[in-house]
Amino acid sequence: MSTATLEKPATADAARKPKVILCEGNEAAALGVALARPDMVAVYPITPQSSLVEHVAKLIADGRMDADIVDAEGEHSVLSVLQGGALAGARTYTATCGPGLAFMFEPYFRTTGMRLPIVMSIVTRDGITPQCVWGGHQDAMTVREVGWVQIYCESVQEVLDTTVMAFRIAEDHDVMLPVNICLDGNYLSYGTSRVELPDQADVDAFMGPKDVNWHVALDPLRPMAVDPLTGGSGGKGPSTFVRYRKSQCRGMQNALSVITKVHEEWAQRIGRSYAPLVEEYRLDDADFAIMTLGSMTGAAKDAVDEAREAGKKVGLIKIKTFSPFPIDALLQAFRKIRALGVVDRSVGFRWNCGPMYQETMGVLYRLGRQLPSMSFIGGLAGADLTIPHFHRVIEETEALLTGPMPSEPVWLNEKD
Amino acid sequence: MDQAMEQTKYLIVGSSHAALEAVSAIRMHDPEGSLTVVTRDAHLPYSPTVLPYVVSGKSAPERIFLRDDDFFARNKVSYRPKAALAALHADSNTAELADGSHLAYEKLLLATGASPAIPPIPGIDTVSYHVLRTLDDALKLRDAIAKSKQAVVLGAGLVGMHAAENLVKAGASVTIVEMSDQLTAGYFDKVAAQMIEQAFIDNGAKIMTGNRVVRLEPSPVGAKLTLENGTTLEADLLLVATGVKPEMAYLNGSGVEHGQGILVDDRMQTSVANVWAAGDCAQARGFFTDTQVMNAILPDATVQGRVAGMAMAGDPGIKEYPGGVPLNTYHFFGRHAISVGSSKVPEGGEVVTRFDEKTGRYLKAIFQDGRLTGIFGVNEFFDGGVMCQLILRRIDLTDVKERLLANPLAVGREIMSKTWR
Amino acid sequence: MVRAFNTIAFDAAKCDGCGDCMVACAQAKTGTDDIARSRIQIVGREKDFELALCRQCADPKCVTVCPAGALGKDGETGVIGWDASKCVDCLLCTVGCAYAGIALDEVSGHVSKCDTCDGNPACVPACPHGALKYITTANIYNEVGDWEDLFAPGLAGCQGCNTELLMRHTLRRVGPDTVLATPPGCVPGMGSVGFNGTTGTKVPVFHPLLTNTAAMLAGIKRQYKRVGREINALAIAGDGGASDVGFQSLSGAAERGEQMLFMVVDNEGYMNTGMQRSSCTPYGAWTSTTPVGAGCSAGMPSQGKTQDAKNLPLIMVNHRCAYVATASTAYMEDLYEKLDKALLASKTGFAYLHVYSPCTTGWRFPTHQNMEVARKAVETNFVMLWEFTPQKGLRFTKPVDDPLPVTEYLKVMGRFRHLSEDQITHIQGKVVENAKFVQRFSEQAHGG
Repeated sequence: MSTATLEKPATADAARKPKVILCEGNEAAALGVALARPDMVAVYPITPQSSLVEHVAKLIADGRMDADIVDAEGEHSVLSVLQGGALAGARTYTATCGPGLAFMFEPYFRTTGMRLPIVMSIVTRDGITPQCVWGGHQDAMTVREVGWVQIYCESVQEVLDTTVMAFRIAEDHDVMLPVNICLDGNYLSYGTSRVELPDQADVDAFMGPKDVNWHVALDPLRPMAVDPLTGGSGGKGPSTFVRYRKSQCRGMQNALSVITKVHEEWAQRIGRSYAPLVEEYRLDDADFAIMTLGSMTGAAKDAVDEAREAGKKVGLIKIKTFSPFPIDALLQAFRKIRALGVVDRSVGFRWNCGPMYQETMGVLYRLGRQLPSMSFIGGLAGADLTIPHFHRVIEETEALLTGPMPSEPVWLNEKD
Repeated sequence: MDQAMEQTKYLIVGSSHAALEAVSAIRMHDPEGSLTVVTRDAHLPYSPTVLPYVVSGKSAPERIFLRDDDFFARNKVSYRPKAALAALHADSNTAELADGSHLAYEKLLLATGASPAIPPIPGIDTVSYHVLRTLDDALKLRDAIAKSKQAVVLGAGLVGMHAAENLVKAGASVTIVEMSDQLTAGYFDKVAAQMIEQAFIDNGAKIMTGNRVVRLEPSPVGAKLTLENGTTLEADLLLVATGVKPEMAYLNGSGVEHGQGILVDDRMQTSVANVWAAGDCAQARGFFTDTQVMNAILPDATVQGRVAGMAMAGDPGIKEYPGGVPLNTYHFFGRHAISVGSSKVPEGGEVVTRFDEKTGRYLKAIFQDGRLTGIFGVNEFFDGGVMCQLILRRIDLTDVKERLLANPLAVGREIMSKTWR
Repeated sequence: MVRAFNTIAFDAAKCDGCGDCMVACAQAKTGTDDIARSRIQIVGREKDFELALCRQCADPKCVTVCPAGALGKDGETGVIGWDASKCVDCLLCTVGCAYAGIALDEVSGHVSKCDTCDGNPACVPACPHGALKYITTANIYNEVGDWEDLFAPGLAGCQGCNTELLMRHTLRRVGPDTVLATPPGCVPGMGSVGFNGTTGTKVPVFHPLLTNTAAMLAGIKRQYKRVGREINALAIAGDGGASDVGFQSLSGAAERGEQMLFMVVDNEGYMNTGMQRSSCTPYGAWTSTTPVGAGCSAGMPSQGKTQDAKNLPLIMVNHRCAYVATASTAYMEDLYEKLDKALLASKTGFAYLHVYSPCTTGWRFPTHQNMEVARKAVETNFVMLWEFTPQKGLRFTKPVDDPLPVTEYLKVMGRFRHLSEDQITHIQGKVVENAKFVQRFSEQAHGG
């Protein structure tokens, strides 16, 4: 892994001396949560998320975070407790991964329909079976169609910053959707790095007033039925359901601009900026590009730099916001290149390729021209994706400029 | 027609038992709908049944009222005495009152009761006589009885018999003239009537049954009566108590079908939309027949009033009228008589009687297929309400018949407690 | 508002016809020992005694047929009073009353009727067998009759279902400052959460998942507590969601002592979805997934559920909840007392109320028999009514000293119609075993 490239703060107060600490990604997430001042946190431990909730519990125990913590008996109840809390007006947070996310699926699906702005970190973990406790994007990718906003982080600092921003995104009236902050198991969860802690007052100003259940509430002062039976084939049932779903999809699309706006505001107030949807790295003059997600991007950028020194006109495209899928931002990037290699840290069983590649193919259809592309799958089950792996990615992608498109994905760690 | 005609959702004409039950039933279901009660009487509601006791002095006239102004206020009822119904314009849902005013209704209940039936005796319009149907009648009769030395009562129904007893007790010489061959015909059988007659004779009254007045003329005493058999009687007090019949002149042109009374179905609805009838003016199905009969008794008036009120208010809990069952009680010279059910013996029916001359206890019961159809007693107390239920519920009493006859009070209660407690 | 008043209640099973009550009444009211003049009349023979006594009807027929205004119901006491000064001795009241509650006293020549001795009836303490009680049979109505019914009118329960009754009573009692969870099942099935944007309830109400009722409610309650607002967190759940798939969240919330009142309406199966088996379904019962059939090639005929029911309330006792109780819709007073205690306990901890609620549709019995079936379940010890607090332990609230044979319960419904002798023996054995098992939690004796 590698730390992210930080641009100089555009409007940061030069006089401000940020508090700098050394911490792992799980602790950075916990600190980000604390800065956002949630009312309620529900926790259930699971590797590699456990230290995150331990940090949260300690922050609360030490009085550094004023939240109600619920040690629920399982992930299913963890999210259910938060749904209840959110319906009563609480800003809520939890974290999970892998089998925990799978167990949570029933309320997980429902959270989006109820439009509850719950923030949940997924400390990504590969899917079982084979039994596995190590990193991989399989868990988050598997639930990508459920309607949560999903944002992937590249660095420990970005984990902290994005965790805070996630609450603003979720609670934005034009969005009102739950948000997953995805941080790579092992590499970000346990990876320790230098982190600048934003000032609480700055974060408070950034967050603004809490407004969680203005749209749907369980409150005796404004009684309503939450989630009456809707649909069927008679009366207004089907049309009510359709309008409901349509507004949910609209909220998802609105998230693209809201995420961008929130990142801009974060940069203004806190002094750190990130490409909110898609980051382009050395792309403008590139002939071809590789595409990455999450913590693998650091090594990939190093490989791109080395390849550039070797004369290859390669660039990099990193997706930060995976759901909603940033179609327009990707199209803009794809117009600059003539070949594309997409590196996934999980598999798509149905298409025999990586899920991100599968999604990308949908975007490529809109490009209006053929863009040769291929799928790479690597970093499964905690395997490291190193600079040499990305040199292979660069080489095989470069070959697309002249050669045929392979029908099979390239499995990067197959012979490690 | 007056453009600003007064409107009411419910209009009830009459103010006795049927009307009052209807008020309660309507208010149970519709607490707010405007409700107006108009009555030709000048007083608060009272029962015609209590009037003999006003005459006797047992009831203080100022204490007989069944409801007070507060009741009507609480129930949001506009109560209007001295407001007789003159005509019904059913086609425009309008009632015309005696003072010429009009009242528009949505639902109308006719509970106008009945009035004394005056027999067409030659010369009756040349003499003064009493009737007993209203409080004013009762007060006049009470005063007259106090002065009377020789009185004649025409008719041996319960009203006539009560008055005769009062006259006897006041010291007058009393003659009861009755067309039929027994007293209290229609209420009690011959054996019971005989016991009643003996009680009156023992107390000095003269009974002339099977006789009728053929001529009436004024005399120095008051009135002179000539009977069919040639006998003449002088009376300083003449009470005409030969029965009652509904006054239905207001129905002329209304289209409301009527016979002896206003014909109604089992929801007390008349043949005309939005018009119901209940109580002594109504002619409803009898329990023992499928035809419509007059059953002008107090308990039936309450049942009919209740059914009518529920029907008018649209109360879904309505239970249809089960059919009229005759129910009568009669107190005479310290004795009592009770009759429940039909006195007719149905085809294949069984009559059982028990009579103890020493105690004067008399009991008669009529069964059909083991079911009770009527029970009558003199000085033999039983629970009339329980017996009425045995009849209405058509309970098979085959196995308990003997015990029931031996002790109708205890065994009736036992069956009641087991069956519908 | 219509009020319920105290009345003299009679338990025919306890009466031996001794007549002491009549003597006491005659002495109190006439100064004699002439029981014919008693206003309470015990009639009948040998072991079979019945009662004739004024019921002080709410809608008294004797009053309506009185021509003299001599009878009237006292709005304060509920007693139908007789005014001697107005009475004309016409006896019409005796013809009006279908219960022989007012009758002629042949000695006085007037009618006489029970006046409850101004609220201290002489007959009641005179009964040596406790067959007479002076009680208000409907305290509930006095207490909550004026309170707002917080469900919409016209919930669509099956005919004869008493869950609607239970729901309305419960929510009236718990009141408007409530958030109500009704997980999938009969309760929302009859419209508590409403359909297509309409609501069936006047308090905030929601469908949790079948699986997460206790967890969601916990989150709600905690947030209101955090912001300093007092609300009642109430769940009305079915037995399936509680004992099977929702058990984890129920157990978790109970263990954490989440402050809520969790009511389970136990109709012993997934009745809303078509009467499938749950872990609360009793042994031998027909359900749509434990059907009765000819059997497979092995030759074993299929004869209903082959396992015994899970005793969920006892499992909740082992969570040391602030309050656990079982109740029955046939014993509403008992249920109400427990509801009050559970509500109070839910202010500080987890309160669990398990209500046995017969299902006329799924258990297959006539729709008018619901209360009777519920009562028989208790009278046979098929279910037991008790309450538990960690401080006082388990206490039977309706101990059944001499339970009826379980067949008295089984025979009243169709779901047990197919039972073999062996199966009945098994059930009877389990009833006895269960009674003993629960009794071990209590220091109090219990029949069975």
